Amino acid sequence: MGTFQNAEAFLRDVSATSSETELSDALSVLTRELGFTYFALTHHVDIRLAPEPAIRLHNYPEEWVEYYDDNSLGVSDPVHRASHVTSVGFVWSRIPAMIALTPRDREILARGESQGIGDGFTIPANVPGETHGSCSFANPVGLPIRGEDLPLAQLVGAFAFEAARRLWRVRSPHDANAPKLTDRQRECILWVARGKSDWEISRILGIQHETVVRHLKQARERYCVAKRTMLAVHALFDGSISFTDVMKR
Amino acid sequence: MVTLAERLPDPVRFPPLREMFEARKQVFVDLLGWDVPVLDERYEVDQFDDEHAAYLIVGCGDGRHAGSARLLKSTRPHILDTLFPNLCASAPPTGPDVLEITRFCLGRDQSARERLETRNILVSSLVRYALEHGIATYTGVAEMGWLQQILAFGWRCRPLGLPRTIGGRMLGALRIDISEETPALLARNGILRPAPLERFELRQAA
Repeated sequence: MGTFQNAEAFLRDVSATSSETELSDALSVLTRELGFTYFALTHHVDIRLAPEPAIRLHNYPEEWVEYYDDNSLGVSDPVHRASHVTSVGFVWSRIPAMIALTPRDREILARGESQGIGDGFTIPANVPGETHGSCSFANPVGLPIRGEDLPLAQLVGAFAFEAARRLWRVRSPHDANAPKLTDRQRECILWVARGKSDWEISRILGIQHETVVRHLKQARERYCVAKRTMLAVHALFDGSISFTDVMKR
Repeated sequence: MVTLAERLPDPVRFPPLREMFEARKQVFVDLLGWDVPVLDERYEVDQFDDEHAAYLIVGCGDGRHAGSARLLKSTRPHILDTLFPNLCASAPPTGPDVLEITRFCLGRDQSARERLETRNILVSSLVRYALEHGIATYTGVAEMGWLQQILAFGWRCRPLGLPRTIGGRMLGALRIDISEETPALLARNGILRPAPLERFELRQAA
């Protein structure tokens, strides 16, 4: 790719794109310049069930994409899971050192190879309060990754994800439509996430049992979910509570 | 309300500001493990904390420091030219209308949601400060995860060079261009908050 000055011009193009097609075209060019064949820029959700506009742009082979969607791999893909434990780009061959792989994970990775996808480089893109995402570059089996361009790939991934975010207008959790919890509701959900029953929560917070039941019922209604587990998951997802909050102490 | 403290000789001498230096120690040393000097085992203070630095502080002096940022003049020695010159492909932008944002700090004693709100107030106050003081450009060094967040505020950012791994952390340098349209860009991303600046008076310091 040569100098940073060249790269900067490309990054400016990426930041200025005004449509999905333009961004996709710019990414295709950048992917080649970086010595890669494929790119995939995505939110880590089941794309067919995503409630909000989710990001996904790619030039992966069609069969691979079908397999991916048929098996709802968006949320369980080992590459995506690995990208949740770091904020720095990683090559896929490092994944076994980053997360514990199950037999099914190994099958997914092997399946990718049988579709012709070799090694890749993934840049995590995690914006607090929003669905995790990432930008990946990959090569066909047998074509090695050019190590010297990976810092630039890191930068391209970060700016490309932001460009996509802007185009899709992913709203922050402070959007007027986002569920707003009261402090008490949030406190109750925190203890739900820690596995406490309503009665236990009432003891911990020093309030009536019925009050806890009411707080949690209202919170479930705000998220339109029926179960307390889903309530905790939604509150974690939109940043109303954080993993750090839950695991504190 | 955001407190603006500037032109203070030896800032750590002022009790209301000490909370900030204490919070900085908790965040940058205890949490993030940065190798930076600590005063009295309690305050994170370095060579740039002097009368040339300006501070924006959310919750200053009432015993509840929530967040803060330090602004350094680009015309004097600052982080980018002193500590990380190789993060810039060419000379870093400098001038009277260029400031460097450093030590962007969100106090640990807050829930995730409170921390995001403090962050939004602090970012809004940075934009306000720039517009009120004729600052056209901010520069800064960020770890990659934080860099993605900075981009997501929606303001105009450009990289100054390739990211590098330094001391086990991957860092990148950015420039952020501020103009009259910046508040609207923040608003589009749900970041903009009213953030009136209140000047820190020396008599408060007594």
